[in-house]
Amino acid sequence: MDRRTFLKLSAATCGAAALAAQPLAAFAEAPGAVEDVSSSSGSSKGSGKWVMSSCQGCTSNCAVRVYVQDGRATKVEGNPNAKGNHGCVCPNALLALQQQYDPDRVKYPMRRTNPEKGRGIDPGFVPVSWDEALDEIADKLLELRDNGEAHKLAVAKGRSTGIADVFHKALPEIYGTPNRFSHSSICAEAEKLATGALCGYWDYHDYDMLHTKYVIMWGADPISSNRQISNAISQFDKMHANAKIIVVDPRLSATAAKADKWLPIIPGTDGALASAMAHVILKEGLWNKEFVGDFEDGFNYFGSGEPLDENLWEVYGKYRGGNQVYPGGPSSSNEYWFDEKYTHGICRWWNLELHDKTPEWAAEITGIDAETIVEVARAFATQKNKAISWISPGVCMTARGAYTGMACFALNGLVGSYEAEGGVMRSPSISTGHLADMYAYKDSKAKKGLKKAKADQRQNFDFVSIEKGESGHNQNTNRVADAIISGEPYQIKMMISYWNNWAYSCTGAQRWEEALPKLEFFVHITTNASEMSQFADIVLPAKHHMFEAWGFVKNKQNLYGYLSVEQPCVETLFEARNDETEIAWALAEKLRDKGWSKLYDYYSIECHDAYGGNRPTNAEEFGQSVVRRFTQPAWDPSAAAGGDDIKKWSDFLKNGVWNSDRMTYKKHYKDFGTHTGKFEFYSETLREILLEHCNSYKTDVNSLMEACNYQARDGLCFVPHYEEPLRHGDEGDFPFVFSEHRSRLNREGRSANLTWYQEFKDSDPGDEAWDDVLKVNPSDMRKLGLKDGDEIVVTSPSGSITVHAKGWEGTRPGVVVKCYGQGHWAYGHVAAVDFEHAKPRGGNNNEILPAEWERLSSSTARHGGVTRVAIKKAR
Amino acid sequence: MTKYAMLIDLGKCVGCSACQIACKIENTVGEGHFYSRHETVMSGTFPKVTYRYIPTMCNHCDNAACVAACPVGAQKKVDGLTIHDDAACIGCGACVAACPYGFTMMRDPKAFDEFASTDELIEGCTSSGAEVAKESGAPVPYGNFKVTSESLLMDAGKSEKCNFCKHLIDAGDDPYCVHMCPAGARIWGDVEDPESDIAKALADSDVSVSHPEYGTSPNVYYVGKF
Repeated sequence: MDRRTFLKLSAATCGAAALAAQPLAAFAEAPGAVEDVSSSSGSSKGSGKWVMSSCQGCTSNCAVRVYVQDGRATKVEGNPNAKGNHGCVCPNALLALQQQYDPDRVKYPMRRTNPEKGRGIDPGFVPVSWDEALDEIADKLLELRDNGEAHKLAVAKGRSTGIADVFHKALPEIYGTPNRFSHSSICAEAEKLATGALCGYWDYHDYDMLHTKYVIMWGADPISSNRQISNAISQFDKMHANAKIIVVDPRLSATAAKADKWLPIIPGTDGALASAMAHVILKEGLWNKEFVGDFEDGFNYFGSGEPLDENLWEVYGKYRGGNQVYPGGPSSSNEYWFDEKYTHGICRWWNLELHDKTPEWAAEITGIDAETIVEVARAFATQKNKAISWISPGVCMTARGAYTGMACFALNGLVGSYEAEGGVMRSPSISTGHLADMYAYKDSKAKKGLKKAKADQRQNFDFVSIEKGESGHNQNTNRVADAIISGEPYQIKMMISYWNNWAYSCTGAQRWEEALPKLEFFVHITTNASEMSQFADIVLPAKHHMFEAWGFVKNKQNLYGYLSVEQPCVETLFEARNDETEIAWALAEKLRDKGWSKLYDYYSIECHDAYGGNRPTNAEEFGQSVVRRFTQPAWDPSAAAGGDDIKKWSDFLKNGVWNSDRMTYKKHYKDFGTHTGKFEFYSETLREILLEHCNSYKTDVNSLMEACNYQARDGLCFVPHYEEPLRHGDEGDFPFVFSEHRSRLNREGRSANLTWYQEFKDSDPGDEAWDDVLKVNPSDMRKLGLKDGDEIVVTSPSGSITVHAKGWEGTRPGVVVKCYGQGHWAYGHVAAVDFEHAKPRGGNNNEILPAEWERLSSSTARHGGVTRVAIKKAR
Repeated sequence: MTKYAMLIDLGKCVGCSACQIACKIENTVGEGHFYSRHETVMSGTFPKVTYRYIPTMCNHCDNAACVAACPVGAQKKVDGLTIHDDAACIGCGACVAACPYGFTMMRDPKAFDEFASTDELIEGCTSSGAEVAKESGAPVPYGNFKVTSESLLMDAGKSEKCNFCKHLIDAGDDPYCVHMCPAGARIWGDVEDPESDIAKALADSDVSVSHPEYGTSPNVYYVGKF
C-alpha cells in the first residue's frame, strides 16, 4: 500500500470511529466531565469536547484540559480554572500527545522467552493474554509467600498519582513485604532535607514571584525545568519588571540568559559563595533586624570579621536561657546581647562557619570575583524580605549537598524573606482522603515479612535517609541495585514496578544492568519497552495518566495548592491498563482465585465509594471509587477544606481542579516546626536527628560524617557551611569537570522517543536538534583539536559514552556540560538509533555519572561536578 | 481596510518552543517541517556571553517575494496576510526560491511516514505507526484532522507555509501560537484599527522587523530583548 492509499483508507475509517469515551460513571451521579465547546477561546471549533486532566511531565503537576475529537486527543491546554498554572502550560504538556500516540507503545502483555538477560540480548518477547500474564505473576507471588519469602518481593514505582497507595502500599503491606520503593530519592529529596533542617518544612517551597525585588537562583532554571515551569514562564516577565534576577549556574541556562546577572560558578562550590554572601551581610550589618534581631546595644560585633568570644558565650548563654542570646561584650559589667527574634543560632553560625568566609576566600574557590560577591550580597540584603534565595536539585543533589542547600537557603533567614511578602513561601495545606487501615487484612505471613529490614539499606549507618525529619525513612532508590547485586541484607527475588526506568535514569546505570538479571522474576509495567523492560520476565502495557486513566495529583504553584483530577478521556489504545487501579484489581482477583483473597477483600470491602458507600465490583468502578475517596475534601461540602467551593463530584470533574485559598504570609511565625520553633541557623533539629541516629549505632557524629563523605566535624555539622565538592576521577587522567542539566522538554526523562523532543532539542541553549552534544568551551575545543560535530568518547571512572562535541561559550574552560535525556539504547525507534541492536542516540549521562549519594537523605548525587571526565576523538 | 500583523515580545519570550509545538498540533505539520520557527544566537566570550532565542514565522510581508514569484496566484495577500492557496498551487517551487527568509518550503511526502510505517519494534507486542493511526481513526493520531485533512491528503510536491491560522482568526480565535504561548509574548490584530492592542503597541514601542534590508516590509514585528 502506498502512502496515499493509506491516508485515504484511514480517512474513511475515521468516519466510522467510535465517539469519545465517556468518563466512567458506575456510581450515583451522572458523568460531568465532558462539556460541549461553545466558546473555545482560541481553539478550533468542531465536534470536540474538553476533558479536564493533569500533566505529570514534571512534579509541577499542572492542571490541563484535553481536547477530544472523534475519540482522539488532539490538543492539550492549561486548565483555565487552575490558580496554580492559571491556564498556562509549558511545552512538556504538549509533548504528552506524542506520548499517547507513540508508535512504539506496548500493545499487549509480553512474556520473555529467552532466559538470558542483558543489554543487546533479545528477550524474545511474545504476546500473551492478560489472564496468562496475571496467572504467572500470581503463581510467583504465592510461591514466595508459601516459602516464607514474602519480603523478597519489591514493589517499585516511578511516575505515580495521588492514589498510588492503592497499589504501591496496599499490595506490599497486605502481601507482607517491607520493600516498596519510588523514584523520589533520585529526584530532589536532598532539597527537602536542606530546607527542613533550617525551617522545619520538609518540602519544596513556593515563591512570591510577583512581589519580590531580588532573586538569586541557585542552579534553578524555572522557565525550563522543574518546578512550576508553567507559572514561572508566564510570570517571569512580570517578576523581572520588579526584581533583579541573578542565576548561579555552571552553564548558561535559559533563565541565566534572561537574568540580570549570570554567575558561572565552578560546579559544586555554591556553598562557598553562599557562605561568603552571608559573611558580607553580617559583617556589614545588612541582616534583617526585624526577623533576626540585633545586638542589644546596636553595635555590630560581626563587623570585625573575627569570631565572637566563646568564653563569655558559656557564661551568659546559660544565664539568658540558652541559645538565643550571646554576649559579645568584653565583660560582665558591660553585656552585649544578640537578641534573636525569629531565628536561632546566628552567633554560633558566625563563629563556626562565617567569620572567615570572606569574598576573597570564596572567589578562589568559586571562580566568581570578590567584587561581584559583595555587590550581589549587598543588593540582595538591601531588599530585606523581598529577596529570594531559590534553591534547586542543582545545589542539593550533590555528594555534600545537604549543607550546600542549607548554606544557600539560610540566606532567606538572614534577610527575613521566609514566609514574607515577596519571599519564600510554603504551600497551603491540602487535605486528601486516605486508605482505610490495613491491619485486619494482614495475615501471619504478612506480619512476618513486614518485620524484615528494608532491602534498600536505608537503615544502614552510612545512610541516614532522613525524610520529614526522621532518619531511616527515605528510600534509597539507587542503592537497590547494589542490594540486589550483593544480596545484602538478603536477596530480592521478585520485583513488580511501574513507570520507572532505573536502568537508564539512575546514576551508575550499568549496575542496574548487572542487578536486574539477578531477579528471579521481574514484572515491568510501562508504556514503552524501555531499558528496564529488556530485563523483564513479564511486561504489562500501561495506560497514559493524562488521557486514559483515573488518578489525581496535588501540588502548589503561584501560592496556591491544588488537587487536579486525571480521568479517562480517549479510547484506550490496545490492551493497556491502569497500573494503580486496574492491574491492582485484576491481580487481587487472580490471587483470590488461587486461594489468597486478602488483597481482594481489602479492595472490595475497604475501598468503597466515599459518598454512597458502594463497594466496587470491577476494576473500572474501583478506579473511580478510589479517586473519589482520595479527593473527597475537594468536592464534598461535608469534608470542606476551604478554597474553591465545589459542591459535588461531577462539578469537580467539570472543573478539573480544586484550588486552595491563597497562601498567607507569616503563617508559621509562631512556630516554624523546628526543634526550637525558630528558623535555625544552628540546626538543633538536624542535631537531634543525627545524634539519635548515632546513638542507635553507639557512635558519634564525627564518625557519621566520615562515613557519609562529609568534611564537617563537631559543631559545623549543625550549621549551613561550605564543603569541598566531592569529585570522582583524578584530575590528571580526567581533566574536565562534568556538569549535567535538564532539558526543557524532559517530561521526567520519558520524551526522547518523541519527534517533537528531537526536533526542538535546540531550544535547550547550546544543544542541537536530533543530537546529543557535550558542550565544551571553545578554548578547550582548540586544545583538544576538536571541531563542532566531531564524534567523541567521554570517559569517567564509571564508564564511557559516545556523543558529539560542541564548542560553546556558555561554560567555563575546564568544565564540560551535557543535558540529560538522550542515550537510550531501548525505549523506541526514535530514542534509540537502532533498537534491535541496542544502539543509542547519543549517550546516557548516567553511564558516566558514578553511583554516589547525598547520604544524610540517601539521595542520588548527580550534580555539583560529581565526576571528572576525559575526552577523546572517537576516530 | 484590515491589515493583520503580529508583535512578538522578546522580553517576555522564554525560548521554550511551545509556539512551535502548538503550531505543529494545530496545523498538523509533519516531521522536519515548520510553519513556526526559531533562531538562536550566541555571542560573546565566556563569561560575557549573550544567548538570544528569536521565534520566527512567515513575515506576511507587504512586498512579499513569494506573491510576486508565484505564476498562478497561489500566494496572495488577504487582509495584510500572505495566504497560500493549496488548491491553486502547482508546486513549481518559485515561492520557495523567492522567499529571502526561507520560510516557505515544499511539502515532503515523507513528513508523516512515521504513521504509515508498519514496522514493529517487538513483533506482535509493540505497535507501529500505521497501527496507532488505524486504532486512533486518523492518519495522524493527534492531528487536527478536521482542519487539515485536505492539505494532508493533497499530493505532495506543493509548497506550504504559515497561514497565520487563518481558519482560526476567521472563526474569531487567536492564531494557535498566540493562544498557546505560556509567556503571553505574542499579540496580533488589525494595525489599521487604532484601538487594537497591536496598533497601540506598535505606536508605543520601539519595534523592529526581521531583515529590513530585504525591503519586504514584514508584518511580524519584534519588541524587547530576549
